[in-house]
Amino acid sequence: MEFAIISALNGVTYGLLLFMVSAGLTLIFGMMGVLNFAHASFYMLGAYVAYAVSSIFGFWTGVIVAPIVTGLIGMAVERFLLPKVHKHGHAHELLLTFGLALIIEELVKLFFGDFPVNYQMPASLRFSAFHIFGADYPFYRLFIGGVAVVMFTALWLLLTRTRTGIVVRAAERLPAMAEALGHNIPMVFMFVFGTGAALAGLAGAVAGAFYPTNPNMGLELGVIVFVVVVVGGLGSLKGSLLASLLIGLFSSFAVGLDWSLAKLLGLVGLGEWARSIGGLMTLELSSVSATIPFALMLIVLLVRPAGLMGERN
Amino acid sequence: MTNMRNLILGAVFLVLLIAVPPLLDLAWQNALVNILIASLFALAFNLLIGQAGLLSFGHAAYFGIGAFAALHLMIAVENGLPFPTPLLPLAGAAAGLTVGLIAGYFATMRSGVYFALVTLAIAELFHSLAPRLEGMFGGEAGIASMRMPWASFTFGSMLSVYYLVLAWVVICGLGLWAYTRTPFGRLTLALRDNEQRVRFLGYNAHASKVIVFAISAMVTGIAGSLLAISNETANYSLFASAVSSQVVLQTFVGGATVFLGPVLGAAAFALFSFLVSDLTRSWVLYQGLIFVLVMLYAPSGIGGVVEHHIRNRKNLDWSRLAGPYLLALAGGLLIAAGVVFLTESASILFGEEYAMARQGANGGLPAYELFGLIWKPLSFVTWTVPAALLAGGGVVLMRARREIGAIWDSKGHGARPAAKSASMGGAA
Amino acid sequence: MNASTTEQAALRLAGVTKSFGPIEVLKGVNLDIRRGERHAVIGPNGAGKSTLFNLISGMFSPSAGEIALNGRSIAGLSPHLINRAGLSRSFQITNIFHRLSVFENLRIGILARHGMRYGLFRPIARMRQVNDETTEVLARVGLEARAHDLAGDLTYSEQRALEIGMTLTTGAEIILLDEPTAGMSREETAQAVDLIRTVTEGKTLLMVEHDMSVVFSLCDRVSVLVYGSILATDTPTGISANRAVQEAYLGEEAA
Repeated sequence: MEFAIISALNGVTYGLLLFMVSAGLTLIFGMMGVLNFAHASFYMLGAYVAYAVSSIFGFWTGVIVAPIVTGLIGMAVERFLLPKVHKHGHAHELLLTFGLALIIEELVKLFFGDFPVNYQMPASLRFSAFHIFGADYPFYRLFIGGVAVVMFTALWLLLTRTRTGIVVRAAERLPAMAEALGHNIPMVFMFVFGTGAALAGLAGAVAGAFYPTNPNMGLELGVIVFVVVVVGGLGSLKGSLLASLLIGLFSSFAVGLDWSLAKLLGLVGLGEWARSIGGLMTLELSSVSATIPFALMLIVLLVRPAGLMGERN
Repeated sequence: MTNMRNLILGAVFLVLLIAVPPLLDLAWQNALVNILIASLFALAFNLLIGQAGLLSFGHAAYFGIGAFAALHLMIAVENGLPFPTPLLPLAGAAAGLTVGLIAGYFATMRSGVYFALVTLAIAELFHSLAPRLEGMFGGEAGIASMRMPWASFTFGSMLSVYYLVLAWVVICGLGLWAYTRTPFGRLTLALRDNEQRVRFLGYNAHASKVIVFAISAMVTGIAGSLLAISNETANYSLFASAVSSQVVLQTFVGGATVFLGPVLGAAAFALFSFLVSDLTRSWVLYQGLIFVLVMLYAPSGIGGVVEHHIRNRKNLDWSRLAGPYLLALAGGLLIAAGVVFLTESASILFGEEYAMARQGANGGLPAYELFGLIWKPLSFVTWTVPAALLAGGGVVLMRARREIGAIWDSKGHGARPAAKSASMGGAA
Repeated sequence: MNASTTEQAALRLAGVTKSFGPIEVLKGVNLDIRRGERHAVIGPNGAGKSTLFNLISGMFSPSAGEIALNGRSIAGLSPHLINRAGLSRSFQITNIFHRLSVFENLRIGILARHGMRYGLFRPIARMRQVNDETTEVLARVGLEARAHDLAGDLTYSEQRALEIGMTLTTGAEIILLDEPTAGMSREETAQAVDLIRTVTEGKTLLMVEHDMSVVFSLCDRVSVLVYGSILATDTPTGISANRAVQEAYLGEEAA
């Protein structure tokens, strides 16, 4: 019971963090058909900017400045770089952002070094939210989840309740039509790209103070985020929310479970045989928790190739 | 006639590849081995993107699988299995083909960006699983073996390894080229163009894509096994995304639309990394910058630009073009110098050694050495130099571009080399 | 496929229904296409003609009902199997290999006909018969002069001719043409009609067509599809005299 509650809490907060990053990716893809490979780099950049700013002006300034910086960079990428390769097709757009991801990662290494930097949450947030089963549950985890929830509520209200939001949604469905109706669609695209990048940057600024901040964090999270969008169905916000939570929960439960194929086969009396084979058979779930998302993705591909919420092509 | 000339060119090149290496020192021989392996890897990768229009971000998986398969076979040979050492890459081929069939089945269920993401995830699956599997991948340390003598060959010297690698790379390269001439090779191009129509002409499109994928994985596996034979060791880092990224960078900088383009890119990058990797820590950054510049200004890669020039060689006034091209080269070099200056300065100023030097200087900003000269971080001169290089290079380059564009346009070619549209991938 | 099967319909649709979510696009279509006839499906926009073609050729599966090709059920089979069973289709929106030469476009289908779909061990240049047959189809659709140009560089009507040529290459007995003359000028249309007439000689043709003059000059029988069901099937003259059709369809056009 203790394990289940703690794991569920951890899973949901991690899932919400994943959604903070995958939401922007999904929004941009749904609208412009561009898969932004550099999206998770904005997450990393957000953490580093927040680290650099907070070391002088304090944590909260860092958390505010980081999304602004990443958002502006995102807008610049959309405005000045993507149009140049647009005519060569989506594959070239993907490749361009892939190159940008590489450059961002290397620049971060250049200025901050290859090793993790010491980006910490402020002492004012370092306390336990509650005491459960003889252990303290850190408030900051809830804070990460809370930031995510507040952000989505704001985003959702923006998309459904404001004029801009209606134009954005129109542009997502039928960009040419929306433009013909007199809306400045290039502006909307830039705005959406910037917002997506800012969301990722904010996620990095908040999460970087809890998880390690290092040059690999972009790639590590990026790969999981890509799994999220494949599992959820590219372009579907609901799908990516569902997949984020699913993967968050799977990962956090897997860390604490010592299940293995040998144990499973032991239930039908083949335990000894499986143990004698070793290798994959005796691997415990906890030691392969990093593999779980990828395995989950392959299963989803088999059962629902379009993703959980995706439309068929 | 052009065929004959290409044949002679190829033969001359091959003779050079055979005759020159004995004259080189060990480090160069080793570098050549790596260049050959990278070239084969890029050729195999380009079978997918260049021919079938499928962009894989996870080819490290099949490269690594090939390496481990060859090493396991080598260990068996060490323990007495009578298997000829020159045929070890067959293990890599078999493993690459098998894993490629399974992975390809999943990856080609979707096309476009989905395909790219699924391949990436499959490679990460291997990368995350490999260190946990002691028996197969030797945990984090990896596995090692030794090349055993076969017949009268001992495979003790780097040179003998070089010839073994050369033979395999040439055979596989020719095989991949022949592939494009077969019915299935033509079908592969049709798949890239219009998968739906292929289906309505009586072909099983998914099965076809799985086969293309598996062939690409098989040749990639051979490349991986050649690396294993050369290094006599492998560990799970072969599955890292950096390996997959490298082949993407090399292929596109070289040019995915030209058969030998990837070889060009792989050779250039492998050669540069051999030459400069001791001099700079920012080699990957430079690679990324080169890649992005190629994507922006010459999307068909070096090979595409070269091909474009060859195709138009008769219509071009080379005596008029030579000047502006030299000017463009000069401009490019100036900009490159400026960028390198800034990058290396940043690398030093934000590095750990400099941080210690600052402690020694009580928090001040001591001067640093770069390109054999001493620079003061707060001096005006230090930052004027790169700024002047960048600005001067930019002006020169823009002017050269204008002139080159004018000359090409006057020949009645709407497409300038840089603006030539790449006919790449239906991977979208 | 011998003389005794001439009684049997080449293509038979019985109670074919297709729904997309709550919308029922086809409501129990019954249709018999006789062997060797040229048969047109006409009907107002949104009547479900394209959906009908997509069901027959395997792009979608029918929600209910039966589709039989030479007496064998093909409902729900994948497109490549239906093609191998002897049914080939063209597309309303030109659907060719833009970056392959015209010759290559046609050769892909010829290879499929010869069962050399996945040949990996012989160079294609030495396959004499395949290349000869490709040249033959090339001549039949009048594109010899453009054989080595990229398909994407052809004019619109040349692309339409290529589209028809590709449909023929797999050697299917039953040809489905989806609006083959759409978007053509009067002169181009006349040429296309001649082309279709010669290339479908001895085959069974089912086509969707809007241009009534094309239908009247080319087809033996016409079926009228309105709101997802077949209103009538008759000879062209019979159809134009049909009261119900006039009200439902021709009348609408006259208005």
